[in-house]
Amino acid sequence: MKRILPFVIIAFVLGAGLLTARYLQRASSENPKPSPTPGASPVATTTTVNPGEPGAEPAHALGDSKAPVTLEEFGDFECPPCGALHPILKAIETEYGPTKLRLIFREFPLVPNHVHALAAARAAEAAGLQGKFWEMHDMIYEHQKDWHEAFDVRPIFEGYAKSIGLDVQQFARDNTSEIVERRIFLDGKRAHSLGVQATPTVFLNGKEVPFESLPAEKLKPLIDKELAAHP
Amino acid sequence: MPSVNPTDRPSRARRTAILYGVTALVSLIGLADSIYLTVEHLSGRSVRCTITSGCSEVLSSPYATVRGFPLAGLGALAYFVVFSLATLAAFGYPYVGKLLTFVVAAMFLTTLWLLYLQAFVIHHFCQFCLLSALVTTTLTALVIYAQLKTGRG
Repeated sequence: MKRILPFVIIAFVLGAGLLTARYLQRASSENPKPSPTPGASPVATTTTVNPGEPGAEPAHALGDSKAPVTLEEFGDFECPPCGALHPILKAIETEYGPTKLRLIFREFPLVPNHVHALAAARAAEAAGLQGKFWEMHDMIYEHQKDWHEAFDVRPIFEGYAKSIGLDVQQFARDNTSEIVERRIFLDGKRAHSLGVQATPTVFLNGKEVPFESLPAEKLKPLIDKELAAHP
Repeated sequence: MPSVNPTDRPSRARRTAILYGVTALVSLIGLADSIYLTVEHLSGRSVRCTITSGCSEVLSSPYATVRGFPLAGLGALAYFVVFSLATLAAFGYPYVGKLLTFVVAAMFLTTLWLLYLQAFVIHHFCQFCLLSALVTTTLTALVIYAQLKTGRG
C-alpha cells in the first residue's frame, strides 16, 4: 500500500488541478449558465438579466435607443485587450448601423494596475462634456501605444483635445471637475453591481459575452441571433 | 571514518521525508498560482493586480508565451513535476531526489531570467509572477538542503 500511496496522492493532485483550472476558466468567462448543448451559443441562456446600478447618465451611446441590440462595454483605455477590441466594435457598429445596434461605453479604469487609465477616462469624460466623447474615445484607444509609456499624459491628451477641436482650457478644467469624477464613479458602481472584474467586459442585451467570444467572427453570430429574436 | 549510530538512520530518513514532504506542499502553492495565471492568460483579459501594477503588461507581453503556449502553463507543468518527484522522494523512492534537484535548478534559472525580463525589459512586475519566483526560490533552498542532508539521491 505504501508503494502505491504516492501515486494516489499525485493522481489526486492532478485531478484537483484540472478541476480547479476548469472552475477558474468558467469563473473567468463569467457565464452564469453554460449552454447545455455543444456548439450552442456561448451567451448565457438564462432569461434573468441583472439590471445593475444605472451608471452615469446619460450613458455614452452610439445608435438608436430603440435598437434591438445593445452592446455595453466596460473598458479601460490603458488595457491592451480593450485597445484590440476597439476596432472590432467600431467595425461592428458601422456594419449593423444605428437602427439595429446600440453601443454603450462605460468607464472601468483598472487603478492602480494602469497608471494612466484614470487620466484617460477623465480625458474622455471631459471631452464628453463638450460633446466629443467618442472622438476622444477613438483617439485615446487608437494611440494607446503612444501614451501608455509616457510619464505625463496630460499634454498628450490636451494635444488630442486640440486636434478634435475642443476648447483646451475648458477641457483641462473639466478633467478635474466633480462631474467627470462622478461619471467615472457611477460607471464603476454599475460595473461592480454587474460583477465586472476585468476589462474588456461586454454585455449583449444585458447578458455578459464571454471574453473568448469577442473576436468579430464569434461576436457577430451572437448579435445576429439577438436580432432574429428581437426583429 | 566517523562512527554512525544505527538508530540515526531512521531519524535521518524521517527528516528527509519531512523535507521532501514540505517541498511537495510548497510546490502546490506554485501549482495553484500558475494554474490561475494560465487561465487568466488564456482568457486574455486585463486582470486587477492588488499589490503591484503590471499584471496585464507582463501577461500580455511577448515573453508570456513560448511558441504560442502560455509560459504559465509550462510553469504549472513544472510545479506538477516537482510535486510528483518530491512526493515520490518523501516516500523513499531512490534516485528521485537527484532528478528533482535537476528540475528545480532549471526552474530557478528560468525564474532568474523571468525576473530580469520583468525588471529590465518589460519594466513591470506581476505579483503572481513574483509569488512564483518566491516559491521556486524556496523550493531550490529546500531541495539543496535535502540533498545536503541525505548526501545521495
